[in-house]
Amino acid sequence: MPLTSLVYVKPRHWGRLAARYAASWWHMLYLGAIALVMAMSPSTYHRANRLATARYIYASTWQVLPWFTLLTALLSLVIIRIVLVTAQSYGLSRYALEMVVRVLVLELLPLSAAMFAALRAGMAFDAAAMGLARSGVPAQAATEESLRRLRRDLVPQVAANAFSVLSLAMVSSVIVLVLAYLNVYGLSPWGLSDYTRTVGRVFDPTVTIGFVLKTVLFGLAVAVIPSAAILELLRHPRRLRSNVQPGALRLLFVLILIEAGSLGLKYI
Amino acid sequence: MAQTPPATPETPPDEPRHVEAKALILLLVIGALITAFILYVMYARGVFEPTQRLVLVADDSEGVIPGMDLSFAGFPIGRVRQVELGQDAKVDIVVDIPKADAKWLRTTSVFTLERSIVGETRLKAFTGILTDPPLPDGAHRPVLRGDASAEIPRLLSTARTLLENLEEMTRADSHIGNSLANVEQLTHKLNGRYGVLGTALGGDEEARKFLQTLQRVDALLAKADQRVFGRHGVMDDTQASLGELNGLLKDARTTLQKVDGVLLEAQAVGANAKTATQDLGRLRGEVDASLRKVNRLVDEINRKWPFKHDTEIKLP
Repeated sequence: MPLTSLVYVKPRHWGRLAARYAASWWHMLYLGAIALVMAMSPSTYHRANRLATARYIYASTWQVLPWFTLLTALLSLVIIRIVLVTAQSYGLSRYALEMVVRVLVLELLPLSAAMFAALRAGMAFDAAAMGLARSGVPAQAATEESLRRLRRDLVPQVAANAFSVLSLAMVSSVIVLVLAYLNVYGLSPWGLSDYTRTVGRVFDPTVTIGFVLKTVLFGLAVAVIPSAAILELLRHPRRLRSNVQPGALRLLFVLILIEAGSLGLKYI
Repeated sequence: MAQTPPATPETPPDEPRHVEAKALILLLVIGALITAFILYVMYARGVFEPTQRLVLVADDSEGVIPGMDLSFAGFPIGRVRQVELGQDAKVDIVVDIPKADAKWLRTTSVFTLERSIVGETRLKAFTGILTDPPLPDGAHRPVLRGDASAEIPRLLSTARTLLENLEEMTRADSHIGNSLANVEQLTHKLNGRYGVLGTALGGDEEARKFLQTLQRVDALLAKADQRVFGRHGVMDDTQASLGELNGLLKDARTTLQKVDGVLLEAQAVGANAKTATQDLGRLRGEVDASLRKVNRLVDEINRKWPFKHDTEIKLP
Protein backbone atom coordinates (compact mmCIF):
# COMPACT_ATOMS: atom_id res chain seq x y z
CA MET A 1 0.00 0.00 0.00
CA PRO A 2 1.44 3.38 -0.88
CA LEU A 3 2.18 5.78 1.94
CA THR A 4 -0.26 8.35 0.54
CA SER A 5 -3.14 5.95 1.14
CA LEU A 6 -2.56 6.33 4.89
CA VAL A 7 -4.72 9.46 4.85
CA TYR A 8 -7.69 7.33 3.82
CA VAL A 9 -7.15 4.90 6.71
CA LYS A 10 -8.74 5.44 10.06
CA PRO A 11 -6.26 6.47 12.77
CA ARG A 12 -6.94 3.37 14.84
CA HIS A 13 -5.67 1.24 11.96
CA TRP A 14 -2.43 3.18 11.59
CA GLY A 15 -0.62 0.99 14.08
CA ARG A 16 -1.64 -2.15 12.22
CA LEU A 17 -0.50 -0.65 8.94
CA ALA A 18 2.84 0.42 10.39
CA ALA A 19 3.38 -3.07 11.75
CA ARG A 20 2.54 -4.53 8.36
CA TYR A 21 5.08 -2.19 6.68
CA ALA A 22 7.72 -3.06 9.22
CA ALA A 23 7.04 -6.77 8.73
CA SER A 24 7.21 -6.35 4.98
CA TRP A 25 10.59 -4.58 5.19
CA TRP A 26 11.83 -7.15 7.65
CA HIS A 27 10.72 -9.95 5.33
CA MET A 28 12.60 -8.29 2.51
CA LEU A 29 15.78 -7.90 4.54
CA TYR A 30 15.47 -11.45 5.82
CA LEU A 31 15.04 -12.81 2.34
CA GLY A 32 17.97 -10.76 1.11
CA ALA A 33 20.16 -12.09 3.91
CA ILE A 34 19.13 -15.70 3.18
CA ALA A 35 19.73 -15.22 -0.53
CA LEU A 36 23.14 -13.66 0.13
CA VAL A 37 24.22 -16.45 2.44
CA MET A 38 23.01 -19.08 0.00
CA ALA A 39 24.66 -17.30 -2.91
CA MET A 40 27.95 -17.20 -0.99
CA SER A 41 27.91 -20.88 0.00
CA PRO A 42 29.46 -23.23 -2.59
CA SER A 43 26.99 -26.03 -1.81
CA THR A 44 24.21 -24.00 -3.44
CA TYR A 45 25.77 -24.38 -6.85
CA HIS A 46 24.94 -27.94 -7.69
CA ARG A 47 24.27 -28.95 -11.22
CA ALA A 48 20.68 -27.70 -11.45
CA ASN A 49 21.45 -24.40 -9.73
CA ARG A 50 24.50 -23.81 -11.89
CA LEU A 51 22.38 -24.34 -14.95
CA ALA A 52 19.68 -22.04 -13.61
CA THR A 53 22.28 -19.37 -12.71
CA ALA A 54 23.81 -19.64 -16.16
CA ARG A 55 20.38 -19.27 -17.71
CA TYR A 56 19.63 -16.15 -15.67
CA ILE A 57 23.03 -14.67 -16.37
CA TYR A 58 22.46 -15.28 -20.04
CA ALA A 59 19.05 -13.62 -19.91
CA SER A 60 19.95 -10.67 -17.69
CA THR A 61 23.44 -9.90 -18.98
CA TRP A 62 24.39 -11.60 -22.22
CA GLN A 63 21.27 -10.55 -24.06
CA VAL A 64 21.25 -6.93 -22.92
CA LEU A 65 24.94 -6.09 -22.61
CA PRO A 66 25.58 -5.04 -26.25
CA TRP A 67 22.49 -2.87 -26.47
CA PHE A 68 22.95 -1.33 -23.09
CA THR A 69 26.61 -0.61 -23.81
CA LEU A 70 25.77 0.95 -27.16
CA LEU A 71 23.03 3.09 -25.67
CA THR A 72 25.14 4.32 -22.74
CA ALA A 73 28.08 4.95 -25.08
CA LEU A 74 25.92 7.19 -27.27
CA LEU A 75 24.42 9.06 -24.35
CA SER A 76 27.78 9.37 -22.65
CA LEU A 77 29.34 10.68 -25.85
CA VAL A 78 26.76 13.46 -25.92
CA ILE A 79 27.34 14.28 -22.27
CA ILE A 80 31.12 14.18 -22.68
CA ARG A 81 30.94 16.58 -25.63
CA ILE A 82 28.67 18.95 -23.73
CA VAL A 83 30.93 18.96 -20.67
CA LEU A 84 34.09 19.39 -22.73
CA VAL A 85 32.76 22.20 -24.88
CA THR A 86 31.29 24.03 -21.90
CA ALA A 87 34.48 23.63 -19.88
CA GLN A 88 36.60 24.85 -22.79
CA SER A 89 34.41 27.90 -23.29
CA TYR A 90 34.98 28.83 -19.64
CA GLY A 91 38.69 28.00 -19.80
CA LEU A 92 38.31 25.12 -17.37
CA SER A 93 39.19 22.26 -19.71
CA ARG A 94 41.66 20.78 -17.20
CA TYR A 95 38.71 19.97 -14.94
CA ALA A 96 36.50 18.54 -17.70
CA LEU A 97 38.02 15.07 -17.71
CA GLU A 98 37.77 14.73 -13.97
CA MET A 99 34.18 15.90 -14.05
CA VAL A 100 33.29 13.42 -16.81
CA VAL A 101 34.82 10.55 -14.85
CA ARG A 102 33.18 11.58 -11.61
CA VAL A 103 29.73 12.21 -13.03
CA LEU A 104 29.46 9.43 -15.57
CA VAL A 105 31.56 6.58 -14.31
CA LEU A 106 31.01 7.00 -10.62
CA GLU A 107 27.39 8.12 -10.51
CA LEU A 108 25.27 7.88 -13.64
CA LEU A 109 26.38 4.59 -15.15
CA PRO A 110 25.93 2.39 -12.04
CA LEU A 111 22.53 3.95 -11.46
CA SER A 112 21.52 3.41 -15.10
CA ALA A 113 22.75 -0.16 -14.97
CA ALA A 114 20.75 -0.78 -11.80
CA MET A 115 17.60 0.74 -13.31
CA PHE A 116 18.02 -1.27 -16.47
CA ALA A 117 18.56 -4.52 -14.63
CA ALA A 118 15.63 -3.75 -12.33
CA LEU A 119 13.32 -3.20 -15.28
CA ARG A 120 14.48 -6.38 -16.87
CA ALA A 121 14.14 -8.42 -13.65
CA GLY A 122 10.80 -6.87 -12.83
CA MET A 123 9.41 -7.72 -16.24
CA ALA A 124 10.61 -11.30 -15.99
CA PHE A 125 8.99 -11.66 -12.60
CA ASP A 126 5.86 -9.96 -13.77
CA ALA A 127 5.33 -12.45 -16.53
CA ALA A 128 6.02 -15.42 -14.27
CA ALA A 129 4.36 -14.52 -11.02
CA MET A 130 1.68 -11.96 -11.55
CA GLY A 131 -0.62 -14.43 -13.18
CA LEU A 132 -0.05 -16.84 -10.33
CA ALA A 133 -0.94 -14.17 -7.78
CA ARG A 134 -3.99 -13.02 -9.65
CA SER A 135 -5.31 -16.53 -10.06
CA GLY A 136 -5.93 -16.76 -6.31
CA VAL A 137 -3.81 -19.74 -5.33
CA PRO A 138 -4.65 -21.08 -1.86
CA ALA A 139 -2.39 -19.96 0.99
CA GLN A 140 -0.83 -23.35 1.59
CA ALA A 141 -0.10 -23.81 -2.08
CA ALA A 142 1.30 -20.25 -2.22
CA THR A 143 3.69 -21.00 0.64
CA GLU A 144 4.84 -24.18 -1.05
CA GLU A 145 5.22 -22.33 -4.33
CA SER A 146 7.25 -19.58 -2.64
CA LEU A 147 9.50 -22.12 -0.96
CA ARG A 148 9.99 -23.94 -4.23
CA ARG A 149 10.75 -20.66 -5.99
CA LEU A 150 13.09 -19.69 -3.17
CA ARG A 151 14.95 -22.91 -3.46
CA ARG A 152 15.05 -23.12 -7.21
CA ASP A 153 15.05 -19.63 -8.63
CA LEU A 154 15.74 -16.99 -6.05
CA VAL A 155 19.44 -17.56 -5.42
CA PRO A 156 20.37 -17.92 -9.10
CA GLN A 157 18.26 -14.92 -9.88
CA VAL A 158 19.78 -12.79 -7.14
CA ALA A 159 23.27 -13.78 -8.20
CA ALA A 160 22.47 -13.18 -11.87
CA ASN A 161 20.89 -9.80 -11.24
CA ALA A 162 23.73 -8.64 -9.04
CA PHE A 163 26.18 -9.84 -11.66
CA SER A 164 24.14 -8.12 -14.34
CA VAL A 165 24.32 -4.74 -12.58
CA LEU A 166 28.04 -5.18 -11.98
CA SER A 167 28.70 -6.20 -15.60
CA LEU A 168 26.64 -3.48 -17.18
CA ALA A 169 28.17 -0.82 -14.95
CA MET A 170 31.70 -2.12 -15.44
CA VAL A 171 31.61 -2.53 -19.21
CA SER A 172 29.91 0.78 -19.81
CA SER A 173 32.34 2.50 -17.41
CA VAL A 174 35.34 1.16 -19.30
CA ILE A 175 33.79 2.19 -22.63
CA VAL A 176 33.10 5.67 -21.29
CA LEU A 177 36.64 6.00 -19.95
CA VAL A 178 37.95 5.18 -23.43
CA LEU A 179 35.50 7.59 -25.05
CA ALA A 180 36.49 10.35 -22.63
CA TYR A 181 40.16 9.83 -23.49
CA LEU A 182 39.47 9.90 -27.21
CA ASN A 183 37.39 13.05 -26.87
CA VAL A 184 39.97 14.91 -24.84
CA TYR A 185 43.23 13.74 -26.41
CA GLY A 186 42.15 12.23 -29.73
CA LEU A 187 44.03 9.20 -31.04
CA SER A 188 47.35 10.44 -29.70
CA PRO A 189 48.94 8.17 -27.09
CA TRP A 190 50.78 11.07 -25.44
CA GLY A 191 47.91 12.00 -23.18
CA LEU A 192 47.91 8.60 -21.52
CA SER A 193 50.08 9.49 -18.56
CA ASP A 194 48.12 12.66 -17.83
CA TYR A 195 44.88 10.75 -18.22
CA THR A 196 46.08 7.96 -15.96
CA ARG A 197 47.05 10.50 -13.36
CA THR A 198 43.60 12.09 -13.50
CA VAL A 199 41.90 8.70 -13.17
CA GLY A 200 44.19 7.91 -10.28
CA ARG A 201 43.29 11.18 -8.61
CA VAL A 202 39.56 10.47 -8.96
CA PHE A 203 39.71 6.85 -7.83
CA ASP A 204 41.23 7.30 -4.43
CA PRO A 205 40.71 4.36 -2.04
CA THR A 206 37.54 5.79 -0.47
CA VAL A 207 35.92 6.50 -3.82
CA THR A 208 36.91 3.11 -5.24
CA ILE A 209 35.54 1.22 -2.28
CA GLY A 210 32.39 3.34 -2.37
CA PHE A 211 32.00 2.67 -6.09
CA VAL A 212 32.34 -1.08 -5.70
CA LEU A 213 30.11 -1.13 -2.63
CA LYS A 214 27.45 0.95 -4.30
CA THR A 215 27.42 -1.25 -7.38
CA VAL A 216 27.13 -4.38 -5.26
CA LEU A 217 24.32 -2.85 -3.19
CA PHE A 218 22.53 -1.83 -6.38
CA GLY A 219 22.82 -5.38 -7.61
CA LEU A 220 21.48 -6.79 -4.36
CA ALA A 221 18.60 -4.32 -4.27
CA VAL A 222 17.65 -5.07 -7.85
CA ALA A 223 17.86 -8.77 -7.16
CA VAL A 224 16.12 -8.96 -3.81
CA ILE A 225 13.42 -6.31 -3.67
CA PRO A 226 11.23 -7.41 -6.63
CA SER A 227 11.61 -11.06 -5.62
CA ALA A 228 10.64 -10.28 -2.03
CA ALA A 229 7.66 -8.26 -3.24
CA ILE A 230 6.46 -11.06 -5.49
CA LEU A 231 6.88 -13.67 -2.77
CA GLU A 232 5.03 -11.48 -0.28
CA LEU A 233 2.25 -11.11 -2.83
CA LEU A 234 2.09 -14.86 -3.22
CA ARG A 235 1.59 -15.18 0.52
CA HIS A 236 -0.95 -12.37 0.70
CA PRO A 237 -2.78 -12.19 -2.66
CA ARG A 238 -5.32 -9.72 -1.26
CA ARG A 239 -2.68 -7.00 -0.97
CA LEU A 240 -2.54 -6.74 -4.75
CA ARG A 241 -4.46 -3.52 -5.24
CA SER A 242 -2.98 -1.99 -8.37
CA ASN A 243 -1.36 -2.94 -11.61
CA VAL A 244 1.95 -1.38 -10.56
CA GLN A 245 4.76 -3.87 -10.61
CA PRO A 246 5.19 -5.19 -7.06
CA GLY A 247 8.19 -3.68 -5.25
CA ALA A 248 8.90 -1.11 -7.97
CA LEU A 249 8.40 1.88 -5.71
CA ARG A 250 10.34 0.28 -2.92
CA LEU A 251 13.16 -0.56 -5.30
CA LEU A 252 13.25 3.00 -6.59
CA PHE A 253 13.27 4.30 -3.04
CA VAL A 254 16.13 2.00 -2.05
CA LEU A 255 18.15 2.85 -5.16
CA ILE A 256 17.78 6.55 -4.47
CA LEU A 257 18.68 5.95 -0.84
CA ILE A 258 21.86 4.09 -1.78
CA GLU A 259 22.83 6.77 -4.29
CA ALA A 260 22.13 9.57 -1.82
CA GLY A 261 24.08 7.75 0.88
CA SER A 262 26.99 7.24 -1.49
CA LEU A 263 27.00 10.90 -2.52
CA GLY A 264 26.71 11.98 1.07
CA LEU A 265 29.64 9.85 2.18
CA LYS A 266 31.81 10.98 -0.70
CA TYR A 267 31.15 14.69 -0.88
CA ILE A 268 29.84 15.79 2.51
CA MET B 1 14.57 -33.99 -39.04
CA ALA B 2 16.16 -34.08 -35.60
CA GLN B 3 13.80 -34.81 -32.81
CA THR B 4 13.34 -32.02 -30.29
CA PRO B 5 13.96 -33.20 -26.73
CA PRO B 6 10.95 -33.01 -24.45
CA ALA B 7 10.68 -29.84 -22.37
CA THR B 8 11.31 -30.31 -18.65
CA PRO B 9 10.94 -27.77 -15.79
CA GLU B 10 14.79 -27.46 -15.66
CA THR B 11 15.27 -27.00 -19.39
CA PRO B 12 12.77 -24.72 -21.09
CA PRO B 13 12.04 -25.58 -24.72
CA ASP B 14 13.22 -22.17 -26.03
CA GLU B 15 16.54 -22.23 -24.24
CA PRO B 16 19.41 -21.04 -26.44
CA ARG B 17 22.37 -23.25 -27.02
CA HIS B 18 25.53 -23.25 -24.88
CA VAL B 19 24.02 -21.18 -22.13
CA GLU B 20 26.47 -22.38 -19.56
CA ALA B 21 29.46 -21.74 -21.79
CA LYS B 22 28.26 -18.25 -22.59
CA ALA B 23 27.64 -17.50 -18.93
CA LEU B 24 31.11 -18.78 -18.09
CA ILE B 25 32.68 -16.65 -20.79
CA LEU B 26 30.80 -13.65 -19.49
CA LEU B 27 31.91 -14.34 -15.94
CA LEU B 28 35.53 -14.68 -17.02
CA VAL B 29 35.48 -11.57 -19.21
CA ILE B 30 33.82 -9.43 -16.57
CA GLY B 31 36.13 -10.84 -13.90
CA ALA B 32 39.16 -10.05 -16.05
CA LEU B 33 37.78 -6.60 -16.77
CA ILE B 34 37.26 -5.85 -13.10
CA THR B 35 40.72 -7.16 -12.24
CA ALA B 36 42.30 -5.12 -15.02
CA PHE B 37 40.41 -2.03 -13.92
CA ILE B 38 41.50 -2.43 -10.33
CA LEU B 39 45.11 -2.97 -11.43
CA TYR B 40 44.90 0.09 -13.68
CA VAL B 41 43.54 2.21 -10.83
CA MET B 42 46.29 0.92 -8.56
CA TYR B 43 48.86 1.77 -11.23
CA ALA B 44 47.29 5.20 -11.66
CA ARG B 45 47.49 5.71 -7.92
CA GLY B 46 51.21 4.91 -8.10
CA VAL B 47 51.00 1.75 -5.99
CA PHE B 48 53.63 -0.07 -8.06
CA GLU B 49 56.01 2.85 -8.27
CA PRO B 50 58.90 3.29 -5.80
CA THR B 51 58.57 6.64 -4.11
CA GLN B 52 60.37 8.84 -1.67
CA ARG B 53 58.75 10.99 0.95
CA LEU B 54 58.84 14.76 1.22
CA VAL B 55 57.24 16.65 4.11
CA LEU B 56 56.18 20.19 3.36
CA VAL B 57 55.59 22.33 6.44
CA ALA B 58 52.91 24.99 6.15
CA ASP B 59 51.01 27.30 8.48
CA ASP B 60 47.59 26.56 7.04
CA SER B 61 46.29 23.44 5.33
CA GLU B 62 43.27 25.08 3.75
CA GLY B 63 42.71 23.73 0.25
CA VAL B 64 45.24 20.92 0.61
CA ILE B 65 43.66 17.51 0.17
CA PRO B 66 45.17 14.04 -0.08
CA GLY B 67 45.57 13.09 -3.72
CA MET B 68 46.38 16.54 -5.04
CA ASP B 69 49.43 16.95 -7.23
CA LEU B 70 52.77 18.59 -6.62
CA SER B 71 53.77 20.08 -9.94
CA PHE B 72 57.12 21.11 -11.35
CA ALA B 73 57.13 23.26 -14.48
CA GLY B 74 53.51 22.32 -15.03
CA PHE B 75 54.13 18.57 -14.79
CA PRO B 76 52.82 16.63 -11.82
CA ILE B 77 55.77 14.97 -10.10
CA GLY B 78 54.25 14.03 -6.78
CA ARG B 79 51.04 13.37 -4.94
CA VAL B 80 49.91 14.44 -1.49
CA ARG B 81 49.42 11.33 0.61
CA GLN B 82 48.58 12.76 3.98
CA VAL B 83 47.94 16.07 5.70
CA GLU B 84 48.46 16.14 9.43
CA LEU B 85 48.93 18.63 12.25
CA GLY B 86 52.42 18.36 13.72
CA GLN B 87 53.52 18.75 17.34
CA ASP B 88 54.67 22.31 16.67
CA ALA B 89 51.17 23.35 15.49
CA LYS B 90 52.41 23.41 11.91
CA VAL B 91 50.76 21.49 9.10
CA ASP B 92 52.79 18.60 7.71
CA ILE B 93 51.90 17.83 4.11
CA VAL B 94 53.33 14.42 3.28
CA VAL B 95 54.05 14.13 -0.44
CA ASP B 96 55.03 10.95 -2.29
CA ILE B 97 57.55 11.66 -5.05
CA PRO B 98 58.23 8.86 -7.53
CA LYS B 99 61.93 8.04 -7.63
CA ALA B 100 61.97 8.72 -11.35
CA ASP B 101 60.78 12.29 -10.82
CA ALA B 102 62.78 12.99 -7.66
CA LYS B 103 65.71 14.20 -9.77
CA TRP B 104 63.94 17.49 -10.35
CA LEU B 105 63.97 18.31 -6.67
CA ARG B 106 67.22 19.59 -5.17
CA THR B 107 68.21 20.79 -1.74
CA THR B 108 67.74 24.38 -2.89
CA SER B 109 64.26 23.80 -4.35
CA VAL B 110 61.49 26.14 -3.26
CA PHE B 111 57.92 24.97 -2.67
CA THR B 112 54.83 27.14 -2.90
CA LEU B 113 51.17 26.66 -2.09
CA GLU B 114 49.03 28.85 -4.32
CA ARG B 115 45.37 29.33 -3.62
CA SER B 116 43.51 31.01 -6.43
CA ILE B 117 40.07 32.57 -6.28
CA VAL B 118 38.67 30.13 -8.85
CA GLY B 119 39.93 26.58 -9.04
CA GLU B 120 41.87 24.32 -6.80
CA THR B 121 44.85 25.02 -4.57
CA ARG B 122 48.15 24.19 -6.25
CA LEU B 123 51.38 22.91 -4.83
CA LYS B 124 54.38 23.88 -6.94
CA ALA B 125 58.09 23.19 -6.80
CA PHE B 126 60.78 25.42 -8.25
CA THR B 127 64.39 24.38 -8.75
CA GLY B 128 66.85 27.04 -9.80
CA ILE B 129 70.11 25.08 -9.80
CA LEU B 130 69.78 21.53 -11.06
CA THR B 131 73.39 20.75 -10.20
CA ASP B 132 72.77 21.04 -6.46
CA PRO B 133 72.65 17.86 -4.35
CA PRO B 134 69.36 15.93 -4.74
CA LEU B 135 66.66 16.21 -2.09
CA PRO B 136 67.05 13.40 0.46
CA ASP B 137 64.26 10.99 1.32
CA GLY B 138 62.03 12.22 4.15
CA ALA B 139 63.21 15.82 3.85
CA HIS B 140 61.25 18.57 5.62
CA ARG B 141 60.86 21.78 3.68
CA PRO B 142 58.86 24.94 4.39
CA VAL B 143 56.20 25.85 1.88
CA LEU B 144 55.51 29.43 0.90
CA ARG B 145 51.90 30.53 0.59
CA GLY B 146 50.67 32.59 -2.33
CA ASP B 147 47.14 33.40 -1.41
CA ALA B 148 45.15 35.36 -3.98
CA SER B 149 42.06 35.67 -1.82
CA ALA B 150 44.06 37.01 1.10
CA GLU B 151 44.99 39.93 -1.11
CA ILE B 152 41.35 40.87 -1.70
CA PRO B 153 40.79 43.01 1.46
CA ARG B 154 44.00 44.95 0.85
CA LEU B 155 43.07 45.28 -2.81
CA LEU B 156 39.62 46.56 -1.90
CA SER B 157 41.07 49.05 0.58
CA THR B 158 43.53 50.31 -2.01
CA ALA B 159 40.83 50.47 -4.65
CA ARG B 160 38.58 52.45 -2.30
CA THR B 161 41.34 54.96 -1.56
CA LEU B 162 42.04 55.19 -5.26
CA LEU B 163 38.41 55.82 -6.05
CA GLU B 164 38.17 58.47 -3.33
CA ASN B 165 41.22 60.21 -4.74
CA LEU B 166 39.77 59.96 -8.21
CA GLU B 167 36.49 61.40 -7.01
CA GLU B 168 38.32 64.23 -5.29
CA MET B 169 40.33 64.86 -8.40
CA THR B 170 37.32 64.99 -10.67
CA ARG B 171 35.31 67.36 -8.46
CA ALA B 172 34.47 70.79 -10.00
CA ASP B 173 36.49 72.72 -7.41
CA SER B 174 39.35 70.26 -7.23
CA HIS B 175 42.95 71.22 -7.76
CA ILE B 176 43.02 69.38 -11.04
CA GLY B 177 39.88 71.20 -12.16
CA ASN B 178 41.44 74.53 -11.27
CA SER B 179 44.65 73.54 -12.98
CA LEU B 180 42.77 72.55 -16.07
CA ALA B 181 40.92 75.87 -16.02
CA ASN B 182 44.24 77.66 -15.74
CA VAL B 183 45.59 75.55 -18.57
CA GLU B 184 42.59 76.50 -20.63
CA GLN B 185 43.12 80.17 -19.81
CA LEU B 186 46.77 79.79 -20.66
CA THR B 187 46.07 78.17 -24.01
CA HIS B 188 43.59 80.92 -24.70
CA LYS B 189 46.30 83.47 -24.01
CA LEU B 190 48.76 81.52 -26.07
CA ASN B 191 46.38 81.70 -28.96
CA GLY B 192 46.06 85.52 -28.44
CA ARG B 193 47.83 88.37 -30.29
CA TYR B 194 51.10 88.35 -28.34
CA GLY B 195 51.02 84.52 -27.65
CA VAL B 196 53.75 83.14 -25.42
CA LEU B 197 55.33 86.61 -24.98
CA GLY B 198 52.17 88.14 -23.57
CA THR B 199 51.69 85.10 -21.30
CA ALA B 200 55.26 85.22 -20.09
CA LEU B 201 55.28 88.98 -19.43
CA GLY B 202 51.88 89.03 -17.81
CA GLY B 203 49.85 91.04 -20.32
CA ASP B 204 49.56 92.48 -23.82
CA GLU B 205 50.66 95.97 -22.75
CA GLU B 206 53.94 94.67 -21.33
CA ALA B 207 54.44 92.56 -24.43
CA ARG B 208 53.91 95.63 -26.62
CA LYS B 209 56.44 97.61 -24.56
CA PHE B 210 58.89 94.74 -24.76
CA LEU B 211 58.47 94.64 -28.52
CA GLN B 212 59.05 98.39 -28.75
CA THR B 213 62.17 98.01 -26.66
CA LEU B 214 63.31 95.27 -28.93
CA GLN B 215 62.74 97.48 -31.95
CA ARG B 216 64.80 100.22 -30.36
CA VAL B 217 67.56 97.82 -29.54
CA ASP B 218 67.41 96.68 -33.11
CA ALA B 219 67.74 100.26 -34.41
CA LEU B 220 70.58 100.85 -31.96
CA LEU B 221 72.34 97.82 -33.16
CA ALA B 222 71.93 98.97 -36.77
CA LYS B 223 73.49 102.29 -35.92
CA ALA B 224 76.29 100.68 -33.99
CA ASP B 225 76.93 98.45 -36.91
CA GLN B 226 77.12 101.45 -39.17
CA ARG B 227 79.57 103.19 -36.82
CA VAL B 228 81.72 100.24 -36.12
CA PHE B 229 81.72 98.23 -39.26
CA GLY B 230 80.53 100.80 -41.79
CA ARG B 231 82.58 102.99 -44.14
CA HIS B 232 85.06 105.14 -42.14
CA GLY B 233 83.89 103.31 -39.08
CA VAL B 234 85.84 102.35 -35.99
CA MET B 235 86.94 99.16 -37.54
CA ASP B 236 88.45 100.92 -40.57
CA ASP B 237 90.45 103.26 -38.29
CA THR B 238 91.55 100.40 -36.19
CA GLN B 239 92.67 98.52 -39.25
CA ALA B 240 94.70 101.57 -40.47
CA SER B 241 96.22 101.94 -37.02
CA LEU B 242 97.17 98.33 -37.06
CA GLY B 243 98.90 98.89 -40.42
CA GLU B 244 100.86 101.77 -38.97
CA LEU B 245 101.76 99.80 -35.94
CA ASN B 246 102.99 97.08 -38.21
CA GLY B 247 105.27 99.60 -39.98
CA LEU B 248 106.53 100.89 -36.63
CA LEU B 249 107.33 97.41 -35.57
CA LYS B 250 109.30 96.84 -38.77
CA ASP B 251 111.31 100.03 -38.14
CA ALA B 252 111.92 98.97 -34.57
CA ARG B 253 113.16 95.62 -35.81
CA THR B 254 115.57 97.32 -38.26
CA THR B 255 116.84 99.63 -35.49
CA LEU B 256 117.39 96.72 -33.22
CA GLN B 257 119.37 94.96 -35.95
CA LYS B 258 121.56 98.05 -36.23
CA VAL B 259 122.02 98.17 -32.48
CA ASP B 260 123.00 94.56 -32.72
CA GLY B 261 125.71 95.44 -35.26
CA VAL B 262 126.97 98.28 -33.04
CA LEU B 263 127.22 95.96 -30.16
CA LEU B 264 129.19 93.54 -32.28
CA GLU B 265 131.60 96.28 -33.18
CA ALA B 266 131.86 97.36 -29.54
CA GLN B 267 132.67 93.79 -28.73
CA ALA B 268 135.46 93.84 -31.33
CA VAL B 269 136.76 97.15 -29.85
CA GLY B 270 136.82 95.59 -26.46
CA ALA B 271 138.81 92.64 -27.82
CA ASN B 272 141.32 95.05 -29.41
CA ALA B 273 141.60 97.01 -26.15
CA LYS B 274 142.38 93.80 -24.36
CA THR B 275 145.14 92.98 -26.85
CA ALA B 276 146.52 96.55 -26.54
CA THR B 277 146.57 96.21 -22.82
CA GLN B 278 148.64 93.05 -23.08
CA ASP B 279 151.08 94.83 -25.43
CA LEU B 280 151.25 97.74 -22.96
CA GLY B 281 152.42 95.42 -20.23
CA ARG B 282 155.17 94.06 -22.37
CA LEU B 283 156.10 97.64 -23.32
CA ARG B 284 156.21 98.65 -19.67
CA GLY B 285 158.53 95.73 -18.99
CA GLU B 286 160.78 96.85 -21.77
CA VAL B 287 160.60 100.46 -20.51
CA ASP B 288 161.44 99.26 -17.02
CA ALA B 289 164.44 97.35 -18.36
CA SER B 290 165.56 100.37 -20.37
CA LEU B 291 165.21 102.60 -17.28
CA ARG B 292 167.20 100.18 -15.18
CA LYS B 293 169.93 100.22 -17.83
CA VAL B 294 169.90 104.04 -17.86
CA ASN B 295 170.05 104.08 -14.10
CA ARG B 296 173.02 101.80 -14.11
CA LEU B 297 174.58 103.90 -16.75
CA VAL B 298 174.14 107.06 -14.67
CA ASP B 299 175.60 105.36 -11.66
CA GLU B 300 178.54 104.29 -13.72
CA ILE B 301 179.04 107.83 -14.98
CA ASN B 302 178.78 109.22 -11.49
CA ARG B 303 181.45 106.95 -10.30
CA LYS B 304 183.72 107.71 -13.09
CA TRP B 305 182.83 111.36 -13.19
CA PRO B 306 185.30 113.92 -11.26
CA PHE B 307 182.48 115.69 -9.69
CA LYS B 308 182.11 112.80 -7.61
CA HIS B 309 181.09 113.66 -4.04
CA ASP B 310 181.34 111.55 -1.07
CA THR B 311 178.12 109.96 -0.30
CA GLU B 312 179.25 108.46 3.00
CA ILE B 313 177.26 109.61 5.98
CA LYS B 314 179.27 110.29 9.17
CA LEU B 315 177.71 109.94 12.42
CA PRO B 316 178.60 112.34 15.29
